Amino acid sequence: MITASKTAKLSTATISRRGLMRGIGAAGLAAGASAVGRRAYAQGKAPVSLAFWTFDNPQQRPWLNKRIKLFMEKNPNVIVDFQWFPFGDLGKKLSVGFATGTAPEGFVSQDWLMPIWLDKGLISPLDVTRLGYSSFKAFTDDYAPAFVAGATKDGKAYGYPLWFYGYCNYLNTKHFNQVGLDASNDWPQNWEQLGEVAKRLTIKDGAKFTRQGFKFAMHAAPWTMIQFNPILIQCGGAWFDANGKCTVNNAAGVKAMTIRASMAKQYGAEDPADSIATNPLPQLDWFKERVSMFFCHPIPPTLIKAQNADMMAGHYYREVQYPGVETGRGYSSTYGFNLVINAQIPQDKQEVLHDLYRFIMSDPVDCWNDTAPFTLARKSGWVDNPAVKAFPDIDQFIEARDRGVFLPRTLVYNELADAMHRAVQRIMLNNADIKTALDEAAAEVDRATAAYKRG
Amino acid sequence: MSGKASALLPSDARACSASTARRFWRFDFRDRIRAWGFGFVLPTVVFFAVFKYGPMLWALELSFTSYDMVSQPRFVGLDNYRDLLADPIFRETLVNTLVYIGGSTVLITLVALALALAINTRVPGARHCMMAMFLTNLMPIIAVCLVWRFLLHPHGLISQLLHPLGFDRVDWLTSSWTAMPCIIFVTVWRFAPYFMVVFIAGLLAIPDDYYEAAHLDGASPLQRFWYITLPLLTPMVFFVVVVAALLSARIFLMPFIITGGGPGNATRVLSMLIYETGFSYLKMGRAAAISAVLFAIMMIFTFLQMRFYMGREEAYIR
Repeated sequence: MITASKTAKLSTATISRRGLMRGIGAAGLAAGASAVGRRAYAQGKAPVSLAFWTFDNPQQRPWLNKRIKLFMEKNPNVIVDFQWFPFGDLGKKLSVGFATGTAPEGFVSQDWLMPIWLDKGLISPLDVTRLGYSSFKAFTDDYAPAFVAGATKDGKAYGYPLWFYGYCNYLNTKHFNQVGLDASNDWPQNWEQLGEVAKRLTIKDGAKFTRQGFKFAMHAAPWTMIQFNPILIQCGGAWFDANGKCTVNNAAGVKAMTIRASMAKQYGAEDPADSIATNPLPQLDWFKERVSMFFCHPIPPTLIKAQNADMMAGHYYREVQYPGVETGRGYSSTYGFNLVINAQIPQDKQEVLHDLYRFIMSDPVDCWNDTAPFTLARKSGWVDNPAVKAFPDIDQFIEARDRGVFLPRTLVYNELADAMHRAVQRIMLNNADIKTALDEAAAEVDRATAAYKRG
Repeated sequence: MSGKASALLPSDARACSASTARRFWRFDFRDRIRAWGFGFVLPTVVFFAVFKYGPMLWALELSFTSYDMVSQPRFVGLDNYRDLLADPIFRETLVNTLVYIGGSTVLITLVALALALAINTRVPGARHCMMAMFLTNLMPIIAVCLVWRFLLHPHGLISQLLHPLGFDRVDWLTSSWTAMPCIIFVTVWRFAPYFMVVFIAGLLAIPDDYYEAAHLDGASPLQRFWYITLPLLTPMVFFVVVVAALLSARIFLMPFIITGGGPGNATRVLSMLIYETGFSYLKMGRAAAISAVLFAIMMIFTFLQMRFYMGREEAYIR
């Protein structure tokens, strides 16, 4: 506030010509500098609009949305159009998006789709230093080996991983107690033990199962793959040979499928036709205690509570590792999700997406708190947190992730999954011969591979 | 041309435009009506050209290409069709589709006709029965499929109802012998009442005089049906058979939700295979080729139906 005395002083002060010139020069310089400053700021913070797609999940999708909103608050010039689709539809939507030029700038990719995006050159390599890693090696060292195998190529990272998890054998400990078993000590560690324990847990009323001791999922092809994959690998089998020929019908494949079928055919511990499972709730038989053991990804406690409040309240369940062909050396399938960048977008948008992804993953403990028990792919920054350590059976989840084998990374994954699903249905529901059914599946996959190679 | 135009005097130009206007109005009334008619029809023609025939032609073109939705389509000639012939899954699915179309069409027609005849007896409560049956068409298809999936569970309500008859357990949807008949049954349950209404409309249009005359001549009920009802219902039967067959050929949700095409490949139909091939395997060219095959089957079927029924109709007229 200028007072009357100050005004008097100003009016009486004499201004020299040199002083006037200095003043004009300084004012010009200041004006110029401020204009330059404004232009630089405008260039750096030009509005950026991005589309980002992910899949729906009651925990994972809201957490991603929360992080993106936070990023937009911190960076008002960035507008992210956040969209989500049902789990199974995301890949199809992305394909149509790429075909019509409407694919989003960034998206979450299921890791079994990575080979297709990579083969077609649709996703861009990531600058790991911009994501906060000192080198490519530092980046790969921070993740589970199964993830690294799928998201990197020729020394470059193409996916920035979110969650990555293995499967566990979920036991109903109340059922174990009812038949005189202790789930802590008697949990099955090889496939024969699984059959014997499942047989003991089974209750039948004539032809009808009152309770199935164990259950393989039969409701969808992806689950057929996830559950059969580790048995095949444990038996020494492989999906493809070095020439890309499907080898699921060789001796190891037949052995694996014989183990798969033995729960129903040899031990009589499951009824493949009797299930109430659906795509949204594949574990429904286990939740409703129609089944005593079920292989599943980490199940959120909120979901258990919603489906079976008694089970949650009494906590009469626990997770253990898969059975193995060798006792105690079982492992499951692992899979996960990557943040990826559309290769067709300009460099400046790619840079903003790097910053967005780094921000999203900058607080892994927050991620765990909102999405537990879905384990993160990265090893650092969250496992030692007390909140994580306090989570029941967290060690089992992390062990399953780190020991797990990845799903086959092939360009004909969907064809392979459908062929295997048909083979399993023929074997389990129509009593088809195992070798014949696997021969048909392998021939189907080889035809698909040949067609893909022809283009 | 511009030189000539510029050479025209303003009065000449006015005279010229006036003569053009006169020429237009010199169209006789019928031509003008026709022009207006074309004008009114044009939006529909454009709609069909852009949204119906255009995509059909594009799909036909795609069937000669290899197209994965992310690369440019590449012309491959007849390769897609050759591959289909060599593919056992396609052959099996084609047989499934023909069985499904045949079974559904025949049963829908027979059941709808039987229901219409029963309703047409005008016994008390017939109208209410008709309304109750028609409700099956108003339910959302997904709800219908889910309910039937549970009803046909090995230990579901239907198995329980059959239990007193000595059936301990029937794997309705998980046996390759019973799965397709079950899908056909659900299709008939859903669509027969709709076509029943079409038949009732046809039955009501037949004058009572014919039946009274036949009755006086001593015709039995079966003879009256065979010699009066059926011939006069021929156009309706033709309509129902063609529409039911087209409907069955395009069926997707019922097998997709109830059995997912299984067990094995037992209930997979061509529309499901088109969807999987196009959107799951990203082979749009091949999917378009399957669509073209399905289209050809339906064209042939409809053409044969037309020949058959037109021939019968002409015979009756003679």
